[in-house]
Amino acid sequence: MMRILDPTLGPPPAAVALPRAPRPHSLSGVTLGLLANGKSNGMALLDRLVERLGERHDIGNVVRIAKTNASAPVSDRDAEMLAGRCAAVLTAIGD
Amino acid sequence: MAATPRGRTPRDGIDVADPWTAIETCYAKGWTDGLPVVPPTESLVDAMLAAGTWAPSDVLLHEPVRDRAVTADKAAINAVMAGCLPEYFPVVGAALQAIGDPSFMLHGPATSTGGSALMIVVNGPIRERLGLNAKANLFGPGNRANATIGRSLRLVLLNCLDCRPGVLDKSTQGWAGKYSLCFAEDEAASPWEPLHVSRGFAANQSTVTVFAAESGHNVLSHGTADPEQLLACFTDAMAGLGSMSPGRTVIVFAPEHAAHLRAAGWTRQQTQAWLYDHAWRTLADLKRGGKVEPAFYASPALVDWLYHDAPQGRPAALPDAGDVAGVQDGDETVRVHRGLGPEDIMLTVGGGDAGGHSAFFPSWSRGRSVPFVTKEIPQ
Repeated sequence: MMRILDPTLGPPPAAVALPRAPRPHSLSGVTLGLLANGKSNGMALLDRLVERLGERHDIGNVVRIAKTNASAPVSDRDAEMLAGRCAAVLTAIGD
Repeated sequence: MAATPRGRTPRDGIDVADPWTAIETCYAKGWTDGLPVVPPTESLVDAMLAAGTWAPSDVLLHEPVRDRAVTADKAAINAVMAGCLPEYFPVVGAALQAIGDPSFMLHGPATSTGGSALMIVVNGPIRERLGLNAKANLFGPGNRANATIGRSLRLVLLNCLDCRPGVLDKSTQGWAGKYSLCFAEDEAASPWEPLHVSRGFAANQSTVTVFAAESGHNVLSHGTADPEQLLACFTDAMAGLGSMSPGRTVIVFAPEHAAHLRAAGWTRQQTQAWLYDHAWRTLADLKRGGKVEPAFYASPALVDWLYHDAPQGRPAALPDAGDVAGVQDGDETVRVHRGLGPEDIMLTVGGGDAGGHSAFFPSWSRGRSVPFVTKEIPQ
């Protein structure tokens, strides 16, 4: 009889439940953020989505951030800007 | 669960009848890279740990995207499974620290469709002490240290970071270097200071330098000793449309090619600059190959890359998305280089003494990919 050790880290830790931000009641007149995740067509996907949303809502300004690298997190500066200026942020990856 | 001899937290494990059952159990649990592993018994893992400078609970690698921390204990288990001798463990640990450097952004090379291998170049006195191969067939089979140190990293990715093919590892094809890609620099054959010295370390330190590499291209040249003729073979490979990107490059010069550069008195910086200056395609070529995507024009960094060397500089008005792919006036004279500058080309030396066969390893993505990272091997 012999014992072999487990090389894995086991199941990933359960996600920490963060409180959800308040939902906007309407998109009319609000500033909407778009965060493309660093692949070629993320922004194209988001722009199409905004186009469709615009058919149903009178969206105010749209702020666009395109990450330059899909492997890197969004910069603190961009995250703070989006959090400060936008009522809602849509994010997408599209290759 | 039995307590460990030194009273540490008991480790998770499985009781099995014999070594053959242990090997098959590792297969059944999905703990291998497809090749058999050495069963990681408590005593083998303790010996591995004892050869390093880390406490079992020290975190050698933290992957921030999914918040997974690889301790020295887990690294040692995987190093045993890979077939490492205990004295290899300092190299394994340093390599894990290198790929865990935040600048390396491991999530990308570990998971992307690009399918890169984790290249480890070892420098300094430890190369000879461990018998690492810098000579004939240095990328290929036959040397325990090369094979098992590189394999340890892959097993950590598979077992600790869940980078399993088709699950979190989405490599479209991957390549054989993903099993293991570790070699020593042939410092004696280099025309220049050792790689790690060029990167700010002392010659008597031992280091690992890591890079996320696509499969290597053999650069074959037997007919010239002239540096410019020789290097033209490299720049032709570097500027191939399939590999073309603003990313980085590793060149491993065979000793024969390195000797030509030494005889001609070419410096490292001169060689890097020549390679950068000559590894280019016209913007028109890139467009004809479908290599310029509309999204490039939304990225200031990629626009800078495309027009960095343009005679008229960056155009005042960028093309509309629909026109991006079409060749426009002036595109035939815009030279787009591989990488952003000579420092994006890392030069090292290795291979058999006979043969004009060097290697070009491109980075793994259509973008900048990740940088070279060098760490000292603690001993």
